[in-house]
Amino acid sequence: MHKIIQFSIVILLVSLIVYASAEEKVFPYEVHETILENGLTVILVPMDSPGLVSYHSVVRTGSRDEWEPGKSGFAHFFEHMMFRGTEKYPGPIYDSLITSIGADANAYTTNDRTVYHLNFASEDLEKVIELESDRFQNLKYSLQDFQTEAGAVYGEYRKSITSPWSVGFEKMYDMAFDKHTYKHTTIGFERDIIQMPNQYDYSISFFNRYYRPDNIVVLIVGDIEPNNTLKLVKQYYENWKEGYVPPQITPEPEQKGERREYVKFDGKTLPIIMIAFKGDAFDVNNKNVLASYLLEELAFGSTSDIYKQLVLNEQKVQFISAGFNFSRDPGLLSIYSMIKNPSDIPYVENQVYNVLDKFKNELVDEEKLEKLKKRTKYQFLMRLDNPKSVASSLPMFLTYEPTVDLVDELFSNIMKLTPEDIKEAANHYFQKDKRNVIIVEGVK
Amino acid sequence: MKRIIILILSFILIVLLSNCSNSLDEKVVQLHVKNDPTVSFRIWFKVGSQNDPVGKEGLASLTANLLSQGATKNNSYEEILEKLFPLAAWYSCNASTEMTIFSGRTHLDNINEFYSLFIDGILNPAFEESDFNRLKDQALNYLKTNLKYSSDEELGKAVLYNDIFEGTPYGHITTGTITGLENITLEDVKDFYKKYYTRDNYVIGIGGGYENDLLNTLIKDLDKLPEGKVQSIPTPSPKVVDGFELTIVEKNAPATAVSMGFPIDILRGSKEWYALAIANSWFGEHRNSSSHLYQVIREARGLNYGDYSYIENFPNGGSRQMPPTNVSRRQQIFEIWIRPVPNETRHFSLRAAIRELKLLVDNGLTENQFELTRNFLKKYVLHYAPTTMDRLGYVVDDKFYKIDGSHLERFRTMMDKITLEDVNNAVKKYLQYENMKIAVVTNNAEEFKYNLVNNVESPIEYSSPKPQEVYDEDEFIKIFNLPISEEKVKIIPVEELFK
Repeated sequence: MHKIIQFSIVILLVSLIVYASAEEKVFPYEVHETILENGLTVILVPMDSPGLVSYHSVVRTGSRDEWEPGKSGFAHFFEHMMFRGTEKYPGPIYDSLITSIGADANAYTTNDRTVYHLNFASEDLEKVIELESDRFQNLKYSLQDFQTEAGAVYGEYRKSITSPWSVGFEKMYDMAFDKHTYKHTTIGFERDIIQMPNQYDYSISFFNRYYRPDNIVVLIVGDIEPNNTLKLVKQYYENWKEGYVPPQITPEPEQKGERREYVKFDGKTLPIIMIAFKGDAFDVNNKNVLASYLLEELAFGSTSDIYKQLVLNEQKVQFISAGFNFSRDPGLLSIYSMIKNPSDIPYVENQVYNVLDKFKNELVDEEKLEKLKKRTKYQFLMRLDNPKSVASSLPMFLTYEPTVDLVDELFSNIMKLTPEDIKEAANHYFQKDKRNVIIVEGVK
Repeated sequence: MKRIIILILSFILIVLLSNCSNSLDEKVVQLHVKNDPTVSFRIWFKVGSQNDPVGKEGLASLTANLLSQGATKNNSYEEILEKLFPLAAWYSCNASTEMTIFSGRTHLDNINEFYSLFIDGILNPAFEESDFNRLKDQALNYLKTNLKYSSDEELGKAVLYNDIFEGTPYGHITTGTITGLENITLEDVKDFYKKYYTRDNYVIGIGGGYENDLLNTLIKDLDKLPEGKVQSIPTPSPKVVDGFELTIVEKNAPATAVSMGFPIDILRGSKEWYALAIANSWFGEHRNSSSHLYQVIREARGLNYGDYSYIENFPNGGSRQMPPTNVSRRQQIFEIWIRPVPNETRHFSLRAAIRELKLLVDNGLTENQFELTRNFLKKYVLHYAPTTMDRLGYVVDDKFYKIDGSHLERFRTMMDKITLEDVNNAVKKYLQYENMKIAVVTNNAEEFKYNLVNNVESPIEYSSPKPQEVYDEDEFIKIFNLPISEEKVKIIPVEELFK
C-alpha cells in the first residue's frame, strides 16, 4: 500500500526531453500499438506509476456522426446508456463491481468522439478488461431503462442551459452550419432530446453501427506489463465482430457572406460576443491548421496585444480568449469576449478585426514565435506525470488517426512553422465572408 | 561545578536546537519526490474570508487575487505574464474561508527564473489602482450576474452556506457581498496584506524534486515579511437549526436546484470521521454512480443529472471530480446536493432525498453496503491525489487539521479497522433529518411555499414506464411528511441576493 500511496512518479522528463529532442520525439514513453484482426486498435503505454492504471476506450464517434434528421444527441446519450449493463453483468452488478474495485470511472462526449475512462489499481486490470470488453460487445438495456435515462439527459440539458454561454454556443453552431452535423452541439437540439424516449429502436441501430472494434481504440497506460496485457486484451476482445458503418455526413458548403445574430438571454449577464471563422479539418501536414493552433495564443492569449489593451489597460472587457481547436471535419475558429458596457460591443468587435488584420498583414516576431513553440511543447510534457493525465492527453489525437506517432509528427511539424506560415494562415482563415457573429445580451 | 555548567549549557543547546527544529516543523511541510523534474509550491497564509472585516466582505479574496494577478514593485502585470510565458510555469493565489494559498509549479530547468517571479509576487506586491479596479470589477460581476444567472446549482449552494453560517465569520461566500466589495478601497487591501501576510502567519508547502538549498532560500526570503502575530478567530458557532428552514430563491428558472444541510461537529482525523465517511460515501459519493441518492433520484427515476452528499466543504462540485484541497474549515456541514430537477417534480424530489436520509439515520447501513463501500474507498482514495501538487495540498491540510501522519494513508488503514457498528453509531451521532436548512432556486415560489407548508401530496408522473417497485415506493414518497411552518419559509427574489 505504501508503495501505491507514495508512488513517486518517475518521469525523468529532463533526460527524456533531451532524448526526445535528439530523436525528434516528444511523447516521452514507450508505446506498443497493435491492431487486432477485427480492427480493434490496442495501445499500451507502460510507465512507472506503482500500482496505478488508466484505461480509456476511445470511440471515434461523436455528435458529428449523428447525421439523420431528428436524431441529434445520440452519441452523448450512449455515454449514459453504456452504464446500463449487459446480460452477464446487468447495470447494478456492473456498478457494484466497479465500486468494489474503487475505480474512478466516467465518460465524456465531444463533437468527434466518445471516451470511457477508468483509473484503478493494477491488480484489477483483468477484471476491468473483462467488464469493459463485455459492455462494449454485449450492451443490453430495456425500453424502461432507455426511457429513464432519456430523462437524465434532459436533466443535463436543463442544468447547462441556465448559462448564457450555452445559449450562445447553441445558436452559433446552428447559425454557422447549414448542412454539416456540427450544426448541433454535443448534447443535441432540445427538440430531439425531448423525443429521445421514443427512439429505442434507433438507439440499437446506432450502437450496432458505431460501437464496433474497427471504430474503437483501447488505450491502457500505467503499471502494466505489455505482453501479458496484450494477451488479456486479445482474449477478451477478439471474438467481437467488426462491422463499422460510416456515417453519411453532408459536407458543409462554402460560406459566402457574414452571418450575424443577436440572442436574448433570459436572465442578467454582461454582453457576450462570439466571433467564429470557418476552419479546416485536422491534417497533421496542413500548415494552416497547425498555424491556427499557435495563432490562438499569439493573437488572443494572456501576452497578446489585445489582451493587454482590452483586459489590462482599458479594462473594457472581463476577458477575451480564443478557441482555435482541431476538429475532424472543418469546424470553427472562435473568439469570445465578455464586455463590461453594452455600448462598447462595436468597439471590441472592431478591435478583434484590427488584430486579425495585423496578423494578415505583418509577420509575427520570430523570437515570440520560438518562445511559444517551446511553451507549447513544455506545457504538453509537464502534464504527463501520472497515468490518468498521460492517457487523457491522447484521445483527441487517436480520433484523427489511431496512433501515438501522430503526437510526435504534430509537434515536429509545429516546430517547423515560420512567421510566413502564420501570416498565410491568418489570410486563409480570417475572411469576412466566412465570419459568424453572435451577440448575447441579458435582460436589463 | 564545571560538569554542572557543561550539563546546563548542553541542556540549553538541546532546548534551542529542538526549538529550531520545532519552529521549522511548524513552518514547513515537505513532500520530496525523488526524480520528479518539477517543483510545486503551496505557501499557506493563515487568513481567509473569515477575516473579512464587517462591511468589507470579499477583502481576503480580493487581496489574494491582487497578489497573483497584479503588478509587483519590480514588474508590471504585463511583464510578469511575458516572463512566465516561455517557462510554461504559473503561480496563483486563492483565498477560501480559513486558508489562503499562494501556489505555483515549474520545471526544474526553469527554477531560477520562476522562483524570482514567484517570491516577488509574495514579497513585493505593487497594489496598483488599475489592477485593483480590474479585479474588484470581476468580483462584483461574479456576484451581480454570473452567480445569480449562470448556474442555479452554484447559486443554491451559496445561499445555503450563507444561511447556515449567518451571523458568523463564515456567513458570506469567499467572493464577499456586493456592498462589502463596493466599500473596499485600495488602502484596505494594503492594510489587510500588512496585517495577515506576516512572517508569523505562514506555512511553507514544497513538493517535487527540489534541492534543500531552494527550501533554505525560500525560508530566508519569506522571513523578510514583516513581523506580526495574528489573533486567531474562535471557531464559529452557527445558530441551531430548528426544524426545516427554507430559503426559496425566486427566479425564472427552467428547473429547480436544491441544496440542504446542517452543521456537524466532526473533523477528519478521528476514527469516527472515517466511519462517517463510509456512510456518506454510500449515501452520496460525489459524482459517482455508487451514490445511493443518485441511484434513487437519477438512475431509477431519471429526474436529474446527479445527487450527492458531503461531510466536508466541497466548493465548485460541478467542475471537479475529486475533492479539493486547502479549503479546510474548523466547522463543517453535512450537505445534500440535488442537481436541477423539472419544476413539477421539485416537491417530490425534496421529499425523496429527505426520506432517504431518514432511512439511513433510522436503519444504518447493512453489512453488504458497509463491505462494498469500505472496499471501494480503500482504493478510491488513491485517485484523490494523483500528482505531486495534489498530494502537497493534502500534506498542507494535514497541518491544518493537526493530523499526525497522512490523512490519505489513515483513510486507507481505517477502512480495515472500522466496523459496521462504528459506522452506524457515527450516523446516529452526527446525522439527523428533522432540523435542516434548505435552499431552493425555482420559479413560482409562492405556489411551492403553499404546497410545502400545507404538506400537499406530490404525486409524480413519468413520461415512460418504470418497474413496479418504483411506483410502490413513490406512494410513500409523495405523502412523506415534511413538517414545514409558514414562518420558516423565506422567499427572496434573485435580484436581492448577496447585497
